[in-house]
Amino acid sequence: MNAILVLILAALALIVGYGWYARRIDRNIIQPDPKKATPAKMYMDGVDFIPANRNVLFGYQFKSIAALGPILGPIIAVQWGWLPALLWILLGTFFIGWVQDYSSIIMGVREEGQTFGALSYRFISPRARGILLAFLYVYLLMIMGAFGIQVGFNLLTNPAVPLGVIIVTLAGLLAGQMTYKWKQDIILTTVVTVVVALIGIWLGTLPAVKNIFGAIYGLQVVEGKTISPTLFLQVTRAGFIGSLLVAIFCYLGAVLPIWRWAQPINYVAFWIVLLGVLGGILGLLIGHPGMGDFPAVTSFMAAAGPLWPMLFVTIACGAISGWHSLVGTSGTARQLEKETDALPVGGGAMFLEMIFATIAFLTATVAFGSFKGYQDAGGPAAPAAVFSKGLSAFLNQWGLDRVFGQGFGTAYGAVFLTLMALTIMHLCVRFMRVASAEALGDRFPALRNVHVGSIVALVLTLFLIWIVPFLQIWGVFGAANQLMASLALLLITLWLMSRAKNYQWTFWPFVFMLVTTVGALLWSAYSALFVKLPKATNWQGIVAQVTIGVLALLLVVLAVILVVDGVGAMRRYRMEVAKAASQ
Amino acid sequence: MKCRRILVQAGRRLGHVARTVRAILYGMTLYEWARELYKAREEVERLFTIIVFGDLLGIPLLTPYYTLRLLPYAVPRIESWRRSMLRERDLTDLLDQEIG
Repeated sequence: MNAILVLILAALALIVGYGWYARRIDRNIIQPDPKKATPAKMYMDGVDFIPANRNVLFGYQFKSIAALGPILGPIIAVQWGWLPALLWILLGTFFIGWVQDYSSIIMGVREEGQTFGALSYRFISPRARGILLAFLYVYLLMIMGAFGIQVGFNLLTNPAVPLGVIIVTLAGLLAGQMTYKWKQDIILTTVVTVVVALIGIWLGTLPAVKNIFGAIYGLQVVEGKTISPTLFLQVTRAGFIGSLLVAIFCYLGAVLPIWRWAQPINYVAFWIVLLGVLGGILGLLIGHPGMGDFPAVTSFMAAAGPLWPMLFVTIACGAISGWHSLVGTSGTARQLEKETDALPVGGGAMFLEMIFATIAFLTATVAFGSFKGYQDAGGPAAPAAVFSKGLSAFLNQWGLDRVFGQGFGTAYGAVFLTLMALTIMHLCVRFMRVASAEALGDRFPALRNVHVGSIVALVLTLFLIWIVPFLQIWGVFGAANQLMASLALLLITLWLMSRAKNYQWTFWPFVFMLVTTVGALLWSAYSALFVKLPKATNWQGIVAQVTIGVLALLLVVLAVILVVDGVGAMRRYRMEVAKAASQ
Repeated sequence: MKCRRILVQAGRRLGHVARTVRAILYGMTLYEWARELYKAREEVERLFTIIVFGDLLGIPLLTPYYTLRLLPYAVPRIESWRRSMLRERDLTDLLDQEIG
């Protein structure tokens, strides 16, 4: 299979999915009215409720949903072979992904811009809101653990990467300074800070700089392999320093005002990511490599578990993500100028994310041209390393290595991914801090303190990074995410039922997502508590398996409560509709 | 003549594409940044309104003389302030950021 053929398939899914299926649903079932006043117009306050141009909102929605999930998910999922991963990215988006994103926005618009929590309370049951918050906290914790392992143990441990990340962070602070204090034009600010960031990434690849970080990490070459000494458990000195750097960055992001730290750094990081994506696509089109001997299907059972249900939760945001419905209702639905904008903004952004996930899929499959190459680059346990090497292979197609040296592409890919992860993680810590203060602040007043709340979240994160294996964290992360998607699809189905509209197009995706996700959680719990726990030889293994097993079972219990409440609500709405029809 | 018309049409389309790309890039970058700044300003303005109209919430913070002096500045935003104060909120209100 050739890269161009994969891209053509993705384009076909986009054209048929968006151009035919999505438009049909929009026109025949939702029937948006461009003249109807949206919450953005009715409740305009210039902050939360503010009508925005369709194209601006499309950019905002895409930026809000396209993070690290659609990159790492497909790379981990190709362990089952390229065919099932590609099929789920395309078909999952076609039948479920856009459905959830689009309909949660339109539901938010029609229900006066209420948030997902308030809508769950109203349409499902009062405790559904509490369940949603529990999903959210587990989800954020798993994000912190999974991304933290990739950044702390796989990306920052490369001595060519830390300086680049530090200089990009400083360039972000410079962008803030130039904008707020020196009142500089944004184009000048952008050019200066992006150039500084690019120079910083290049400086990081110089042998002298690599030697300095190599000495700090205590790197030694033993039998042809570069290793760092182990400090405790299985944490090397490089991994320890890398994870501490992650914690420091997130701490600053969580306690400083968002406009002072997070936004300007996100801004500069965005350009680094955009340049990387454009350069990668250009290299892909120039080189159009094939998959070589990469198998279509490896085996039903892989390192992360059985193909069904684990592949579906592994790809996560690449096909469908519960997070999108939260962003859609809390953010986008309150800024929509016209109801007719919901499809291009919500559906269009999700189909573009499908293309993004397909490109990430290609970095794992065609960039190396073989399954062995994929495994040598890091395999499913180190998807961030696979991506940075794969992106480097694409960038080198148009001669980046000839200009900036052999290691520049890999370092660029690693900095790109580190920035994407860190700019998400500091927002996660922010949210976890607020969540713990709200939930436990009365019982433990210290948690209301921003520093205490952030440190608690970071201690939990470091615990996961140092103790629990990555693939197990990713499995629970994906399941928590997909459970939120199930909740969103259930909510949308109930909303459609209450409005006496056709709900089959959301009900069956809900059933599929729920069964698959509960199956994945049961598998994760069984594998942790009955397969891996008896084999654990030290306390670290025992704690890791018990943590994963308990979290997975907790999510299963919450999902069961949700189904019970959901079925009760469905019965209620069906009776109401039947009663209204008989009158 | 025909050639010129085609060129003008092509120019218009290019201009439209450029404007669209610009708007999308703005949405991806500065739009969120600008919203955060609006939110920061709104917090200060909310504080100002509470100080002026603390009586409405049962918290007399300012003597009526100063409340009356400041009234013309606060009146235009009373309606949105009232709606904002009465709006039901929960943690999912905070989730319009990219996480995931």
